Amino acid sequence: MSRSIKDLFVKGIIYLATGITLSVLLFIIGFIFVQGIGLVNWDFLTRDFNEKVGYAFTEAKDVPLSIDEEKLNDINSLDNRYETALEGPIYVENIGAAISKVAYKNHSTEREQIVVTYLEKDSPLQSAIDSTGAEIKIGPDYMLQSINGKDFTDLSLEEVAKTIATESGELKIKIVQPGGGIKSNIITTLYMVLLSLLVALPVGIFGAIYLTEYAKPGKLVNIIRFAAESLAGIPSIIFGLFGMAFFVVALNFQISLISGSLTVAVILLPVIIRSTEEALKTVPMAFREGSLALGATKLQTIFKVVLPCAVPGIATAVLLSIGRVVGESAALLLTAGTVAQIPGTLFSPGSTLTVQAYYVAKEEGNIELACAVGIVIIVIVIVLNILSRITSDKLDVFNKK
Amino acid sequence: MDRNIKFNAKNLDLYYGDFQALKSINMEIRENEVTAFIGPSGCGKSTFLRCLNRMNDLIDSVKIKGEILFDEKDINGDIDVINLRTRVGMVFQSPNPFPMSIYENIAYGPKCQGMKDKSKLDAIVKESLMKAALWDEVKDRLNKSALGMSGGQQQRLCIARTIAMNPEVILMDEPTSALDPIATAKIEDLMSSLKKDYTIIIVTHSMQQAGRISDKTAFFLMGEVIEFNETPIIFTNPNDKRTEDYITGRFG
Repeated sequence: MSRSIKDLFVKGIIYLATGITLSVLLFIIGFIFVQGIGLVNWDFLTRDFNEKVGYAFTEAKDVPLSIDEEKLNDINSLDNRYETALEGPIYVENIGAAISKVAYKNHSTEREQIVVTYLEKDSPLQSAIDSTGAEIKIGPDYMLQSINGKDFTDLSLEEVAKTIATESGELKIKIVQPGGGIKSNIITTLYMVLLSLLVALPVGIFGAIYLTEYAKPGKLVNIIRFAAESLAGIPSIIFGLFGMAFFVVALNFQISLISGSLTVAVILLPVIIRSTEEALKTVPMAFREGSLALGATKLQTIFKVVLPCAVPGIATAVLLSIGRVVGESAALLLTAGTVAQIPGTLFSPGSTLTVQAYYVAKEEGNIELACAVGIVIIVIVIVLNILSRITSDKLDVFNKK
Repeated sequence: MDRNIKFNAKNLDLYYGDFQALKSINMEIRENEVTAFIGPSGCGKSTFLRCLNRMNDLIDSVKIKGEILFDEKDINGDIDVINLRTRVGMVFQSPNPFPMSIYENIAYGPKCQGMKDKSKLDAIVKESLMKAALWDEVKDRLNKSALGMSGGQQQRLCIARTIAMNPEVILMDEPTSALDPIATAKIEDLMSSLKKDYTIIIVTHSMQQAGRISDKTAFFLMGEVIEFNETPIIFTNPNDKRTEDYITGRFG
């Protein structure tokens, strides 16, 4: 009797614990989604974080580009995406575009602004070039600030439309490319994953091969294994400090993509060594014996038989590593910087998604934006998880029949 | 007329750390014969077999004294182990095909020796599978994984894989202990047909098997060779009381 009550009690606790774990997880993800989902859209993913101010050069149309009534009605609804559309839209014929005045707001400023809300197919703005002669794709949401030196500040929308309409021939328009997106952070994160794996994978796999296949069991191996395990437990900020002192300062790599990825590679090493080692250990001794008995050398045995068998385990290592890189922020804050840009070279800085989330939350106090970045991080991690699981299944030599 | 001596062990001692597993083994194994090693578990027969292609090198604690002459050359001396293993092939207790296609399993050995010619490899694969009496069963699925075969087929594949190296000697370490009677019978047939081309040394727990297939039998006990003679003599008229006791099933 009392035993069945005890059983019931323990069972209840087990279920409760599972329930708590699951609901905490769901709550966190749900919270992040609710907070950030309003900001996630295609523009958010494809735009740079910072606005880019520049001049666009093009030629006004001599024959005005007309727009039919039906479309004009349509473009009125386009303005719905602005929470505070102030005036317009007005269609300006010589540039083939509709412009509106909106209260423009992004992570750093809030101001009244003339924006392009609709572009005709043959609009001269579509074929604008910048001062270097490179093509710029002006699209909806680009801001207009002046035309041929005539500034739009403090003008009403109608006055702006008139100003533009009176210009002809060569146009020099001051435009602002809208920011607020995280394209550069996504790309920097992917660079970081690729570069750090490129460094850490070969080193880690060869290290694991040494430990399992070559090293004689003894003190040295135990020390290496202990070191690897200890490294895995050290908080990443310590690695960040090391990376800052060694890669950034001593090797003079500056705060850059390469400093960041080398630092992360150091963080990844123990993870990769440990999981590859476990994978190699599960390869049956019989395969090694069979290969050696056929007159294969030890190296041939390792590379042709043992390693292919260990591929699923190594894929797990890669998966864990990707999670580590995507999730790393402390070390990267110190070594790769917080500049939201696509690093042009190995030696330019760039911030990953997590660093960006930290930055907007801490420096700008914009929790919603940070949560929106968080959603993207979660999605990337899930997608990479699925991808590496599929590849590891595909590469699993024991699965093929 | 006596055949050539292939292996000649002289006063061979083997230690696992401090434990002496083989005690002063002396044995002459002749070409194109089937030699069987019998004896209770832990008597050293597998250990001795593994000395013949130096598979014991894989175990760190092993120390060997005495010599084993293979074609008059001491294999524990200054020889090329890789070369030795291509000349002395081995089939293991449980089938251990590599997790690759059937074709790749057979071609593995020759490829490791640096053979790249596709047509030569094709020929070797076909010939080896024919010799191992497996060709008809697998010729349509050479590119399928070897792990999809039955246990008996896998073991014959391992034999084919060994034959592909064209060795002089094939060592077999209880090759049928993991197989059913029908697969066992097939492998035994195979061994008698391979005898004319290869020297075969087999460790077995089944005395019937030793009696059926071997020309000579060695009885091992506690790391010593108690008796080594023509198989019919061992089974009908052993010299040593312990051999008789073992064969008649009084211990072991």
